[in-house]
Amino acid sequence: MIRLPRAAVWLLGAGFLAGCSGIKTYPDTSPRNLFVKTEARSGSAFGSVRVSVHIHQVDASCRTEYLGTVQLNEPAVAIGIPPDRPSYLVFNFYSSSFLGASTGSINYETLLRPRAGYTYDATARYADGIYFVVIRESGARGSTGREVSQRALSACDRR
Amino acid sequence: MAIPTVRTFTIATVLLLCGCVTQHPQNAEEVRKMTPGAFLSKVETHEINRSMQEIGATFRKRAPECLNVRVRTTSQTPGSYQVIVSVYKPTVVVTAERAELHLQRHHERGVLAVTKEPEGGYYLMVADAYPVDAKRSRLQFFGPSMGFDVIYRAIIGWATGKDLGCPDLTKTG
Repeated sequence: MIRLPRAAVWLLGAGFLAGCSGIKTYPDTSPRNLFVKTEARSGSAFGSVRVSVHIHQVDASCRTEYLGTVQLNEPAVAIGIPPDRPSYLVFNFYSSSFLGASTGSINYETLLRPRAGYTYDATARYADGIYFVVIRESGARGSTGREVSQRALSACDRR
Repeated sequence: MAIPTVRTFTIATVLLLCGCVTQHPQNAEEVRKMTPGAFLSKVETHEINRSMQEIGATFRKRAPECLNVRVRTTSQTPGSYQVIVSVYKPTVVVTAERAELHLQRHHERGVLAVTKEPEGGYYLMVADAYPVDAKRSRLQFFGPSMGFDVIYRAIIGWATGKDLGCPDLTKTG
């Protein structure tokens, strides 16, 4: 009988559970062109809010394939989104209250087709039950660019 | 003897509850007429330093983006587990007289409808912006007095232009 160290058992168990959840970590790709600032507060001492972004690639037929998730648990996170092709971003705000008795999950979803040489600054904010996501495009020379409008997946075949 | 007593009590309770549940508004105008004085409802007015046209334009942009959603809410206590799926439907109407935002909600799962439900769902609230002058408006809400604070705050934010965020509809009653 093989005896494993307790730590190894816990790690194996955690890995097994993570695989069952269906959520995988988005690979760290370069160049990093999406910079996300996150501000989240539930508005209640008994509640909490977690923010993440699920990233999907979109093919020519507008079908999505889930690539992974980035946990936005730091005030600023840099992400690499493939340029010159559409990706589908799902910003998720997960809130729970009073020992998890009540939970809520709400999304902000948008198509994003980053242009090569440009960077994108996103702000994902949740405060007291109001959430807001805005993405701005900045030029290669750092010039402040336009706000990128939210686009539904159904608009993927329109440039 | 116990069974007839239980049956009588049950029938009496159902009849009493039916007396409490009357018809729900079937359109926005009925919401405006039926809300004043209705149980757990309110009429609320705000002065806004923006023109009615600007408010209407913001309603047209934000309402579909923020309120045209399906929401799944889970509540769990030691004695119960409840899943509710709700579909929200906003309607924005802008005329020369006012900018209107109607919000309806239909429960796909978890809630039983006991009265006639209008197409698109029960009316949750109506918000009307009237012009006061070229740069000011009056925003009037007709809706529930409890449980929907996030929606009121979001719509006020749109009207003032100070906060264009969306209400977390999982936080409503």
